Amino acid sequence: MTTEERTIQRDRMRFIKNSLSSNLAILGILFDVFYFVSLYQSDVDTYYYNYLIGISIVYNLIFMLAVFLSSEGVKNYKRNYSYLLAAVGIGQIVRIFIIPMRAHATTTIVNGESVVVMQDGQFFWMVACLAASAACLVISAVVNFIRCNELEAHLKTLETQGV
Amino acid sequence: MATLNLQHIDKIYDNNVQAVFDFNLDVKDGELIVLVGPSGCGKSTTLRMVAGLEDISAGKLLLDGRDITATPAKDRDMAMVFQSYALYGHMTIYENMAFSLTLRKENPNVIHKKVLAAAEILGLTSQLNKKPAQLSGGQRQRVAMGRSIVRNPKVFLFDEPLSNLDAKLRGATRREILLLHKRLKATMLYVTHDQTEALTLADRIVCMSMGHVQQVGTPLELYDSPANIFVASFIGLPPMNFYDVRVDGEQLVGEGFQVSLTPEEHHTLRAYHNKEITLGVRPENIVEGADVPVSVTSNENLGMNTLVHGYIGGARGVRISAKLKGWRDYKTGESASFTFNRKHFFDKETTNAIRGGEG
Repeated sequence: MTTEERTIQRDRMRFIKNSLSSNLAILGILFDVFYFVSLYQSDVDTYYYNYLIGISIVYNLIFMLAVFLSSEGVKNYKRNYSYLLAAVGIGQIVRIFIIPMRAHATTTIVNGESVVVMQDGQFFWMVACLAASAACLVISAVVNFIRCNELEAHLKTLETQGV
Repeated sequence: MATLNLQHIDKIYDNNVQAVFDFNLDVKDGELIVLVGPSGCGKSTTLRMVAGLEDISAGKLLLDGRDITATPAKDRDMAMVFQSYALYGHMTIYENMAFSLTLRKENPNVIHKKVLAAAEILGLTSQLNKKPAQLSGGQRQRVAMGRSIVRNPKVFLFDEPLSNLDAKLRGATRREILLLHKRLKATMLYVTHDQTEALTLADRIVCMSMGHVQQVGTPLELYDSPANIFVASFIGLPPMNFYDVRVDGEQLVGEGFQVSLTPEEHHTLRAYHNKEITLGVRPENIVEGADVPVSVTSNENLGMNTLVHGYIGGARGVRISAKLKGWRDYKTGESASFTFNRKHFFDKETTNAIRGGEG
């Protein structure tokens, strides 16, 4: 790519929204939804009957709201939303260790037999969803951060040129 | 840019209604042609046939000598600007202008250059991040024009683009279109029912009525030498006065008045001696004099001019409107006397203009 092409590409950012970052953030929500709707699918129904259900529901609502707002923010090249997205993205990795990992490592007695609370298939699906969600959010944050810097530098150049 | 030839074009709808009859026109490269006429005269239909939005029932349409009569609209390389702007409300001005090129999958950098160039021409650079709803009517129409410009079409088509604007904006946007035409040197076809737009914009005007072309010519030709009574009455504001008169030697005798003919006029009317003709006089060609007695009914001061309306030869006579220079103050019922500076003659049967070489 020539310098001129690069300059035009940067200049386009003045008028074109950051849809890559925005769409990645929405994709992050989508993977989270996949995770959440599959999380409590279990034959061991009593295992999940504790305060974690309430907390995870509340967190999920906050997560979706925050990421949706961030997706709108990064669309307009707002740098601060990169930090939020990155933080929430890392939070998705942390979530792997809160319910899925613990449920996968726990056994309980059902009808006199020892049963693993979360089977391998469900566990790996949970991990995949959260990992994918985290990846989308972090990439979205990084892309937006880089683009914001580029746009800021470009606008400064235009300002010095008196455009 | 391009030349455009319309050869014997007819438009007949499925219900056998004929909207356009034998339309012939050769548009030169870079020419701005205005199609003017009252509502329902077929001007928009003609434009839509050129655009490819209506089928051509008979005749040929040539673009740069190539027959495009049956070519689909998308392949004609023409851009049309509509009265209603037809902008996408959810897109920014930039996105609206870039839309057609994006659909064609052009290089985004090329699109960017074209959009910025068009925005610069139209003075829209500072509006590119706004939505259409945030712009005034004139600005929206400029966006619609910008969307056409970025395509760099061979022919621009305008379908009454200023009709939705108020009088002030219309004047300003009209001047912008004129500047745009001078700058782009593009071939343009412009439809309007507003004769002021036609006279101020056109290189040539096509005056239409009831699907027929009445006259093709420069604005001055249509104003100064109208081909028939329709053109004479349509072009000019206030409209031309018409009177039934009899040619009597070196005089014209009408109802309640008598005017002398100049030697040239007498020569022009030599074949109409003792015959009835229609006399046309533009209000601005009437001055105070001694030939035509008028009973004044209203006096409208316009600043530089005064519009005087009245009846010739008393309250039951024929109507007359005169546009006199300067400030006048005629009272209703007051008697005045006028003279016709310049006259137009029309055959009463054919309604065609009587020219000097005829007879």
